[in-house]
Amino acid sequence: MAKRAGPQQLAAVLVFVLLVPVAAISGGSLATRAQDKSTITMWLDSTSGSETAECRIAAAVDPFNAQSDSVMVEPRLQPNRWQATQTALAAGEGPDVVYTPGPAFATQVTEAGQFLPLDAYAEQYGWNERFAPWALDLGKSDGVLYNIPNQVETLALFYNQTLFEENGWQPPTTIDELAALSEEIAAAGIIPFAHANQEFRDANEWFIGEYLNHVAGPENVYAALTGEKPWTDPEFVDAISALNEAQQNGWFMGGVDRYYTTTFADANAALAAGEAAMKIEGSWTVADLNTFFGESGSEWGWVPMPSTSGDAIYDLGIGSTVSINANAENPDAVAEFIDYLFTPETQARLVVECGDSPASVPLEEDALAGIDPQYAEILVAQNEASAAGGYGYTVWTFFPPETRTHMIENIERLWSGGMTVEEYLQDVQTTFDQEVADGAVPPIPNRSLTG
Amino acid sequence: MRDTAVQTHPSLALHRPRWSRARLRRHAVPWLFVLPILLINLLVVLGPAVAAVYYSMTDWSGIGAADFVGLANYQELFFEDPSFLSAFVHNVVWLAMFLTVPIAMGLIAASLLAPIRRGALFFRLALFIPYVLPSVVVAHLWSSLIHPDRGVVGWLNERGVPGTDIALLGRESTVLPTIAFIDNWRWWGFLMVLFLAGMQNIPPDLFEAARLDGANRWQEFRDVTLPGIRPVLVFMILMTSIWSFLTFDFIWIITQGGPAGASEVLSILVFKNAFQNFEAGYAAAIGITMSLFVGVVISIFVVLRRRGWEI
Repeated sequence: MAKRAGPQQLAAVLVFVLLVPVAAISGGSLATRAQDKSTITMWLDSTSGSETAECRIAAAVDPFNAQSDSVMVEPRLQPNRWQATQTALAAGEGPDVVYTPGPAFATQVTEAGQFLPLDAYAEQYGWNERFAPWALDLGKSDGVLYNIPNQVETLALFYNQTLFEENGWQPPTTIDELAALSEEIAAAGIIPFAHANQEFRDANEWFIGEYLNHVAGPENVYAALTGEKPWTDPEFVDAISALNEAQQNGWFMGGVDRYYTTTFADANAALAAGEAAMKIEGSWTVADLNTFFGESGSEWGWVPMPSTSGDAIYDLGIGSTVSINANAENPDAVAEFIDYLFTPETQARLVVECGDSPASVPLEEDALAGIDPQYAEILVAQNEASAAGGYGYTVWTFFPPETRTHMIENIERLWSGGMTVEEYLQDVQTTFDQEVADGAVPPIPNRSLTG
Repeated sequence: MRDTAVQTHPSLALHRPRWSRARLRRHAVPWLFVLPILLINLLVVLGPAVAAVYYSMTDWSGIGAADFVGLANYQELFFEDPSFLSAFVHNVVWLAMFLTVPIAMGLIAASLLAPIRRGALFFRLALFIPYVLPSVVVAHLWSSLIHPDRGVVGWLNERGVPGTDIALLGRESTVLPTIAFIDNWRWWGFLMVLFLAGMQNIPPDLFEAARLDGANRWQEFRDVTLPGIRPVLVFMILMTSIWSFLTFDFIWIITQGGPAGASEVLSILVFKNAFQNFEAGYAAAIGITMSLFVGVVISIFVVLRRRGWEI
């Protein structure tokens, strides 16, 4: 028996009938608008989860899509983005906006002819005035700009301020003070450094770079990177010996076996709980410090990584680079998005909302309101260092890839007694020479260049 | 006479069964069925394999053009790169561990479980479950469990149990056997299920006859069970040998080859050279060498089989 339609069903039908044309009109206009726009693609890394990638989409991609009349960016979450990008580029594919993990990687892809030159766009959009010269220099190959360095980072000495105050310890400014304080901390039954590499063996390079720049000095590292000085010189022997001594003394997490098997979370927890006193790490660690110290009720502080002279030196690192795929169908559209991505406003949003490190563009202080004040201090200090030209050189940014791999892997052989410091540095020199011959060394900005 | 025998009358030639339709169908149709998979195979297996051989003789960075360098990559591999020899030795150690421990455990457990009727499913499931867990989960689980500052070992260490203060994954002397233990924890249950299935296909009469002849449990196992499951056993030994040269996941997740290269195997070298060092040509040479090692293992089995070994 057929049921008669009740008033509610009739109302539902009426609403549906009325809504369909409205949806068709609005959907149609949206579709038409989207069709009018050039679509470009970009991949966002989601290896460690999608949260940061989604935040970056909300902070940079969505606002761009909303304001651009001509370009639509299609973001895609891509685990292991770099490996996927390499494979895709080798096949003549890949996203239009290409990210690499840093200048050393970007140099290789540039040499393979997979990126488009950006000089015309730099002229058009005023990038030469917007970016610090040293940063744009890093993106050049034979004087032509191919890569925009993104996410400028630095490393510092972070410490448990509450623990320091309780014990009457002062943050060190020289390498000698650092060594003396480490001995004192170890004698008190506390781990001097909450260092670990279980999840990321490449963390070795943070300490190698810091000791090279802060014991031997950034001028010597610059001289070696530009081929004016061998890596086997006594300054570098002293630097690597100091690092080896710290590890052999058990200052890194209590011993080399613990260093290899401790996670970052456990190391941070030990630092916040006062079981460890300090750590040398990048500015990216601030969010974790706030989480762990917030739970423990202690306070953390930071100082520049001590140096032989006592001068504050900030080693600069580039977290990623951005380029245009040589196979991009509409390079002008990609350049329009890259320009938007590197405006001070977008960079400030990425810093404030997603905890990103900013590119080397001038950021308005007001735009950074709300970020952790100590993080703001680090950003200011690193920008001043980059502007003054007195910065140091992180391994992942300024060293060629194979030399970097040798440095990271052989330092463990040195720590285990399988190599001497001299053998370690000789291997660095041999590998570096080969990569110089192969043209694999990233462009090292002239040290006299300032921002 | 011979000539006349082979000559054919012209009229007969005309009526020769002209590759009769039935014969044609018998010969050609199976090929037509196989053709699609053959073409796919050529495209996705043989093509890349040939390309890999070519790239192994170039200086390809993994992106862009490649220059031919002849056998330079192989020369570096065999005569100049100490990490290759070290990784190869680790693969051989890995092979030795996986050809003995899990196979012995699987055989023992299967022969103990085979006669059990009550609760058999429970035991089989309990031992098989680790195999269905993702390797990343197993790796993190065990890394925590055996850490001297946390997990079960950490708990024992806190109570002063001797020998529990060692970070097994942080020492060069213990890291490889420890990862092999973790991988084996997941793997041996799978072997056990295969062996158990093989044992259940052995006719019960054979066991009965052996018992009537006065065979004890060991003699029963040696003379009835082992020959009865020989095809499964040999196949799994062959596959274990092949997989041991290709192992990657557990080592990469747990140590990425460290510390100090103590757990570095050939597949880790391939990955690092291809994706970190931009030495894809060199990585291809390592890959080809790994394939040759696997080829040697397969050849040994083929030769033994041709010599009459029932494997």
